[in-house]
Amino acid sequence: MNEPIETKEPGSGMSGGHALDLKLPIGWLISAYGVLLTGYGLLTGKEMYAISLGINLNLIWGILMILIGGGFLLAVLVKKRRTKS
Amino acid sequence: MAPVITLNVIDYAIIGGYILVMILVGYSLKKYMKTGEDFFLSGRSLPGWITGLAFLSANLGALEVIGMVANSAKYGIATVHFYWVGAVLAMVFLGVFMMPFYYGSRVRTVPEYLKLRYNEATRGLNAISFAIMTILMSGISLYAMALLFNKMLGWSFHASILFAALVVLLYVFWGGLSSSIYNEVIQFFLIWLGLLPIVFLGLKQVGGFAGLTAKLHQELLHSVKYLGTSNNPLGVDWFGVAMGLGFVLAFGYWTTDFLVVQRALASKNLNSARMTPIIASFPKMLVPIIVVIPGLVALLVLPEFAPAALPTADYNSALILLMKHYLPNGLLGLAITALLASFMSGMAGNVTAFNTIWTYDIYGSYIRRGRPDAHYVKVGKWATVIGVLASVGTAYIALGFKNLMDYMQLIFSFFNAPLFATFLLGMFWKGATAWGGFWGLLAGILAAAVHYILYKTGTLSYHSEMAANFYQAWWAWLTDFLVTIGVSLFTQKRDPKELVGLVFGLTPKPKAEARWYARPAVWGTLAVGLSALLYVLFW
Repeated sequence: MNEPIETKEPGSGMSGGHALDLKLPIGWLISAYGVLLTGYGLLTGKEMYAISLGINLNLIWGILMILIGGGFLLAVLVKKRRTKS
Repeated sequence: MAPVITLNVIDYAIIGGYILVMILVGYSLKKYMKTGEDFFLSGRSLPGWITGLAFLSANLGALEVIGMVANSAKYGIATVHFYWVGAVLAMVFLGVFMMPFYYGSRVRTVPEYLKLRYNEATRGLNAISFAIMTILMSGISLYAMALLFNKMLGWSFHASILFAALVVLLYVFWGGLSSSIYNEVIQFFLIWLGLLPIVFLGLKQVGGFAGLTAKLHQELLHSVKYLGTSNNPLGVDWFGVAMGLGFVLAFGYWTTDFLVVQRALASKNLNSARMTPIIASFPKMLVPIIVVIPGLVALLVLPEFAPAALPTADYNSALILLMKHYLPNGLLGLAITALLASFMSGMAGNVTAFNTIWTYDIYGSYIRRGRPDAHYVKVGKWATVIGVLASVGTAYIALGFKNLMDYMQLIFSFFNAPLFATFLLGMFWKGATAWGGFWGLLAGILAAAVHYILYKTGTLSYHSEMAANFYQAWWAWLTDFLVTIGVSLFTQKRDPKELVGLVFGLTPKPKAEARWYARPAVWGTLAVGLSALLYVLFW
């Protein structure tokens, strides 16, 4: 113990690198949910949304989730490009 | 009895998708689990944002969310004390002052620190009581989940328990702490995405925040104004809130509970470890948006919470009834998935804390010492299986308790509250001796027990169950604090050379500090300032 920890390289654990980029499963899950909700929102009629004060919230929330999920996937893509070049 | 909520195929697709992703994540982490440090501490390799969000989510379990919505309907805006005074300060303190000793000493667990700072007996006492506590807590998550899904969705109670236990077992067995942390981060996003629609629709219906304040009783709308006496909805005065909750319970939980500290220890370097709780404190400040607002909205829109119905209202059902009130199928599935995710991650967090403490502090210290690393990984995996099976058992014990939130606070006031005194003295007073630490901790736990008996037999009385818990925490802490000092004055001091890296004042400051904008102290100050500002706004 008491070894100076600053000497440890970032990510030197876990067999040399950060194992699985968590942004991938988060991005896929949220955007898949987004697509599902958007599609369902497009297919369902107005009467279903009486409880949500007449707002087709499946559609709105679905689109929002596609954007958020897509943002995570984009971040992974940008990072990959950068490490390649 | 007919279920309260009816799901359709789209809702089940959303729930199924989550379970599938969790199992896949666990499976794909399997190949990275080579050493003990990989399995128990994620190879100390994770970036600050992941450990920070996991640190927060480990405490944002479904019971917490459902319980805090219930508290908000009962106590109003005063519920923010659990977040602002009751968490942010302690999280910042952990990051700025305590993390250098936890991470810097390279210990793998909280009890291991106690062994280095005090002695083997102190570690044993803490390791065993903590192991019991994690299994009880994990059982509570499992029980509460099965109960909720049985009552609300009509799922089979026993099948829900077995199925959730199996999923958690699979992904923790494969991916260890990493699986648990990844699930917590995914859960963090699901909780916000799942519950925000209720907040929007609720505010829209009651006419925005202004509409809420115009229609509700004044006592429900202030956090501090009515704390002068214990004659407020909370039933606790300012001293109980500040010392019991803000100081002892919050610091005890956030700074010494291995379940949360373990997340920071998984960080890739000291700076990330220190930033972990500080990053977590910012979203923590905002959690009242998804718990307090729904709680207040429930009072105005749900017939079950109309003034005439209040005396018999089941506050814990507020969140579920709001879901039914506002969410169409689709979003409903998303909200149920968010709850399912937080139940499972609450359980997984406890199981991973258990397998680590069992393997390092109990098995590796008292049963089989000095075996090769691979042996301990195997033991950790089996401990996971046993931990999950034991949780199924304790889930059926939890069946016997009526109010789970009070039961949880009670467990914390027994084990975490005194432990914080032991840590405070250990880290900041070099005069605390080995046996001072042990007897102080034991005396603190016993003081909690004595207080509990006096309260239950009616010798002591408080305005509410919550007040009793706050004061129990305070007395347990004070007893530990005084006994540790008292015994330390008469027992043999440790050689200061042995305490380098463990005690403040004997440890050189870390040299390679990050640039000013990445420094824990800067962000910590900002977090404390912001929560003070929030108090001014919601006085």
